[in-house]
Formats: sequence, C-alpha cells, structure tokens
Amino acid sequence: MPATVTKQAHANPGVSRAGSRDTDYAALLRAAQAGNQAAMERLLMKSQEIAYRFSLLVCGHADDADDAMQEALLKTYRHAAQIKDPGAFRTWLYRTVKNACLISRRRRVGEPARLHSLDGDSLSLDGVSQPLELEDPGRRPDQVLENTRLRRALDRALLSLPPESRLIVFLREVEGLSTRDVAAVVGISEANVKTRLHRARLSLRERLEAP
Amino acid sequence: MKTAAERQCRRLLEQLSRYIDGDLTAVERKAVAAHLRRCPCCRTMADSLKHTVELCHEAGAARLPADVTRRARARIASLLASDRSGRSRT
Ligand SMILES: [Zn+2]
Repeated sequence: MPATVTKQAHANPGVSRAGSRDTDYAALLRAAQAGNQAAMERLLMKSQEIAYRFSLLVCGHADDADDAMQEALLKTYRHAAQIKDPGAFRTWLYRTVKNACLISRRRRVGEPARLHSLDGDSLSLDGVSQPLELEDPGRRPDQVLENTRLRRALDRALLSLPPESRLIVFLREVEGLSTRDVAAVVGISEANVKTRLHRARLSLRERLEAP
Repeated sequence: MKTAAERQCRRLLEQLSRYIDGDLTAVERKAVAAHLRRCPCCRTMADSLKHTVELCHEAGAARLPADVTRRARARIASLLASDRSGRSRT
C-alpha cells in the first residue's frame, strides 16, 4: 500500500481535499480494499463530491444532487471491494455517477426543465445553497469577486452547451480526466473527444467573452 | 476570397486546443508559437481560450458548500454504522 495515501488518509481521516484532479483513485481504492477505513471514507466522500458537481454542472439541477450523491455513495461502497483493476476505478466511478444522475433525473421526469430560471442576477444554480466557493484563500477580495462572477458566467455557459459537449468539458476540464478516460466514460473515440472538446472550448470562450 | 494570412489564422485556430494541451508535434508547436508571436489577433484568442480552460479547472477545485459536505459526511457515517450493526448481528 503506497505510504503517501496511508499517511494522508490518517492525517485527515474522512476529510478530502476538494477537487478530483490530484487524487490518486487507484491508490485510494487499493488502500480501501486492504481494509483502511480512512481511505474508504475518503473514497466515499470523493464519489459524493463528483456526484454533486455532476448534478450542478452537467444536469443543472442541484436539487437532485442529494439523490445522486446517495446513489454514488452506495454504489461505490458496494462495488469497491469487487473491482479487480484499481486503474479502471476512476472511469467506473464517473460512469456510475453519470448513471446515478440520470436516474435521479428520471424520477422527476414530469417536472418542467428548470433551465429558464438561470436568467437574472438572482441566479443560484443550486436553488438551495451558494455556488461552489473557490479554494483560494490567498486571493484579494476584488479577485474573489471577479472569480465568483466568472464562475457564475461559466456555470451558465456550460449549461448552454449541448449535453454531450457539456459532459465532455466536465470530465476533461473540470474533473481533469485524460482524453482517453473521457472517451471510455462517454463511449466515443479519443479523436472525437478532442474535436468536440475544441468546439466546446470555443463556444464557452465566446459566451464568456460576451458582455 | 480569403487571403493567405486568413487561411493561416484559421489553421491555427484549429490547432489551438492541442497547442494548449501540449498535444502537438515539436514542428507544429514551433509553427504555432511563431504565428502567435507575429499575430496579435490569434494571440488574444489563444490567451482567452487558455483562460476559459483555466476557469474550468478552478471550478473543479472549488470547495463544496459546508451544508453539502456535512450531509455527505453524515451519509457516510450512517452507511458504515448500519453495515457494522448488520454484520455484528450475523
Ligand atoms: Zn493569426
């Protein structure tokens, strides 16, 4: 079991750093499979964090987030022990979260789409709580404000993309998956991921630049 | 009719994402860098595209709202507790 994972997990049991980018999921899974409780708790927290961001940024319905988080938590807990190839865990997790979010959407299929509530300054994608805070305590207040404005603009720009492009941008840019892993989660070729990603970036940029 | 310069800029635009991602060959990368040095228009475009990508990265590093994290922890605690009590019964 890699020493770094054990150390981090014990130093900060159950508490995970925000974001997915720097997490070594394979190492975390191996530790959890070996009976490391703190690693299992971190894994369960990670899967819920991913489900939350997915609900917010891909589905655009943060009030489904609790359902999606619960589903991702249970699936991760039930299946973590059976996964033979820890290297494949990350793509499994994103596929699972994708399905969990789709399931929680289907339960509310009779409801009208809530995208129209995204206009105006009272925008709260979450509906119930504040937008994601930037983990950057070192920044000056005016920068923080500017970033909050930009983040909201980004949330809005993301939701204006076609669903599959949004999913690709989410996996690649927000979550930091390799183009290969994105291709595996979405079920398209890597070349296709790159082309769509480029188009999506251009249209995101255009929307962010627009006054 | 498009000028040669316009065609060059169009071709560069197609390569920009791969340039940002470090996904070009050395020769391609050098050509893009040279074009960016002499074309302010494409330079602005490249900077703003890079900024868009960085903004997405920051969204992924954002902390979850405190109440969401609290509920997530409670869910984990209750799952592990129910599993433990289930196992101790059998
Ligand atoms: Zn140019």
